[in-house]
Amino acid sequence: MDMAVESPSTLGNGDSPAAPTASTPAAAAVAAAAAASPPSSRMLQLAESLKLEHQFLRVPLEHFKKTIRAHHRCAEKEVSAVLSSVAEVADRSDAMSRDDAVNHLSSLVSRLQGLKRKLEEGSRAENLQAQRCRARLDHLDSIDVENLTEWSNTRLKRILVDYMLRMSYYDTAKKLAETSNIQDLVDIDVFLEAKKVIDSLQNKEVGPALAWCAENKSRLKKSKSKLEFQLRLQEFIELVRADNNLRAIQYARKYLAPWGATYMKELQRVMATLAFRSNTECPAYKVLFEPMQWDYLVEQFKQEFCRLFGMTLEPLLNIYLQAGLSALKTPFCFEEGCTKEDPLSQEGFRKLAAPLPFSKQHHSKLVCYITKELMDTENPPLVLPNGYVYSTKALEEMASKNDGRVTCPRTGETFNISELVKAYIS
Amino acid sequence: MELNTIKDAFDRVAKKQKLSCSKTQEVIDEVGREIEQAMAKMQSTDNGSGCSDQKSILLELKTKLNEMAPMNQLEGSQRELNVGLVKYAKILEKCFNPDISKAYRNVDFDIHIVNQIIASHFYRQGLFDLGDCFISEANEPDATALKSPFLEMYGILEAMRSRDLEPALNWASKQSERLLQNGSSLELKLHQLQFVEILQKGSQNEALQYARTYLAPFASVHKVEIQKLMACLLWAGRLDQSPYAEFMSPTHWERLAEELTQQFCSLLGQSYESPLSVAIAAGIQGLPTLLKLASVMAAKQQEWQAMKQLPVPVDLGREFQFHSIFVCPVLREQGSDENPPMLMPCGHVLSKQSIAKLSKSSTRPFKCPYCPLEATVGQCRQLHF
Repeated sequence: MDMAVESPSTLGNGDSPAAPTASTPAAAAVAAAAAASPPSSRMLQLAESLKLEHQFLRVPLEHFKKTIRAHHRCAEKEVSAVLSSVAEVADRSDAMSRDDAVNHLSSLVSRLQGLKRKLEEGSRAENLQAQRCRARLDHLDSIDVENLTEWSNTRLKRILVDYMLRMSYYDTAKKLAETSNIQDLVDIDVFLEAKKVIDSLQNKEVGPALAWCAENKSRLKKSKSKLEFQLRLQEFIELVRADNNLRAIQYARKYLAPWGATYMKELQRVMATLAFRSNTECPAYKVLFEPMQWDYLVEQFKQEFCRLFGMTLEPLLNIYLQAGLSALKTPFCFEEGCTKEDPLSQEGFRKLAAPLPFSKQHHSKLVCYITKELMDTENPPLVLPNGYVYSTKALEEMASKNDGRVTCPRTGETFNISELVKAYIS
Repeated sequence: MELNTIKDAFDRVAKKQKLSCSKTQEVIDEVGREIEQAMAKMQSTDNGSGCSDQKSILLELKTKLNEMAPMNQLEGSQRELNVGLVKYAKILEKCFNPDISKAYRNVDFDIHIVNQIIASHFYRQGLFDLGDCFISEANEPDATALKSPFLEMYGILEAMRSRDLEPALNWASKQSERLLQNGSSLELKLHQLQFVEILQKGSQNEALQYARTYLAPFASVHKVEIQKLMACLLWAGRLDQSPYAEFMSPTHWERLAEELTQQFCSLLGQSYESPLSVAIAAGIQGLPTLLKLASVMAAKQQEWQAMKQLPVPVDLGREFQFHSIFVCPVLREQGSDENPPMLMPCGHVLSKQSIAKLSKSSTRPFKCPYCPLEATVGQCRQLHF
């Protein structure tokens, strides 16, 4: 029995990172140490969870970059226009009265002043965005073992706002952000930009989407985005639908032909609609005229948009939910007596978890049926003569109230506490 | 993680951005000044000697602006800023996990199920306006069934916060039997609190009346508590000086509100914690392991999307341990109905299959793999966790 006391060890190492499978004394000692010093493993866990927050910092940075780029481009354009205007006046000055020349110059000066005002405003906007980037870093830094509950609540709210925004539930997103005072920690303004484009696509207009493509041309090109081509195809299809064939051909020459090198197949297919027309029954072409093509464009746009801002393509909620359900999923979750505290006791969560893999365990983890507490070396499992196992704490409490007798809650049998034996589970 | 170095890196970027802004302003000012100077010169020259002067002034302005090369200046400051931005983005990529969707399985999450889960999350947190707003915006079917029980619960809690126990007592007396089945003495505790409240206001008679009506039925089971409460009657109006001052502690209210929430959820067939919070928190703890696993599997070109069970354990904290899981230490396999855990006489537990393997025959004794004691198959007992 003395030896037996040595060996039960790895039980209750829930906090230790993937303990080695070998049950050597050394490994046992490591696992025990990890279990005994929750603060350090807790901090490690926090650090790991912070590493998941790339999007949280990246999105405001991309937004910041975008604003800087736009202001710079505007300054460049204006200054260069002023310069060439000066050059032009200098070259044509023979044919100009002095007043005309002075007037022209003064118009240039006021143009520069206008630019200056605009940039001052722009710089204020940039500063705000820089502050936001910084606020997010500070928020990540503020996580601590003490405020963990509150911090995690805020994180859940951030994840929910992200979900709302991606699903276009803007009012709920705004309301949630406002009532929880986390406006700086969510990206509502970024998504409102996308909203304009999405709304127009839902109204079957491609204009704003094309403008967005033009605005982000170089970056879309770098990621080999197909979005602009797809928007052009749709516009072409709409011309064919309206039987506006000549214009359709002109449009194709101008906007589709340049994509020929990369997307010849699609180009050919869509050109064939000229022959088949919009009322075709031929499935390969009929599908091109279906309204769901617009939904598809919305999806495409959302993906490009997310990619551009460094967001995950899926809502964060789905990613975390999937990971969580997979980690929680065991065959026991689907049994009748599954505790209500397990999310997988609920129909909705079960359905979501259905296509996900089960979790795996290398070590026993025993939960007391009565107290729901973990049974480990501090609270070891005791076996009743009928083979049922409960935690020492639960049984001792029961015995102290009932003159040393315990009742098995599942079979109703009663025993004396002296009849119980310890079980060692490694 | 070195958040401080990241912060420093960002502060450098922010500084460069400010610099670039002021540089741009400067360049624009300079160009403006040159033009204004040229204008002044032109206006100061006499009307008569006009043309050639005007031309030379303008040409001079043109060369001056060319020499100044404002476009290059603008670009220069911008380039420096861009370098800083790129560097910072790289630091972020290095310190954080740039793609947390790597371990995502491409299955369609049913939007309606997710929305229902979120709506009930809002309602159970007491965020009724938000829940309603969400339901209507997401076009989900009417959710009164989700909402109304929690409306009642928050009504009770709200009243308790303003020291009104009436709604709580009403609810508890309606649910009296079910509460007892749950092993909860919530109803008594509520009455106890009410009794103390009455006493504190000083009316001994009223308190006695109350005790007779509401506390007496509990007397048989909770004798000790009720005796103490009755003793309080002696200190009516000055309970704070009595040995029972502890009864007045405001923590009773908080604890009772918590217990009520717990019992309310339990009677509704719901968990105490929001299941969405639990699942997401589990996801946040589990995802780092899953991401590592996904990248290892990708390197080995193994299929992530189709596996039935994760190949490695994902360690979650105790708060996520809802079930007893027995893993046979010899076979390293999870126990099941066919292969249940067995207790050997020495107290060690192995799975039935590994005992069968160790014993070879049912009568010959075999040595426990963990201690020197021997056992026979017949001495081993099946365990139920």
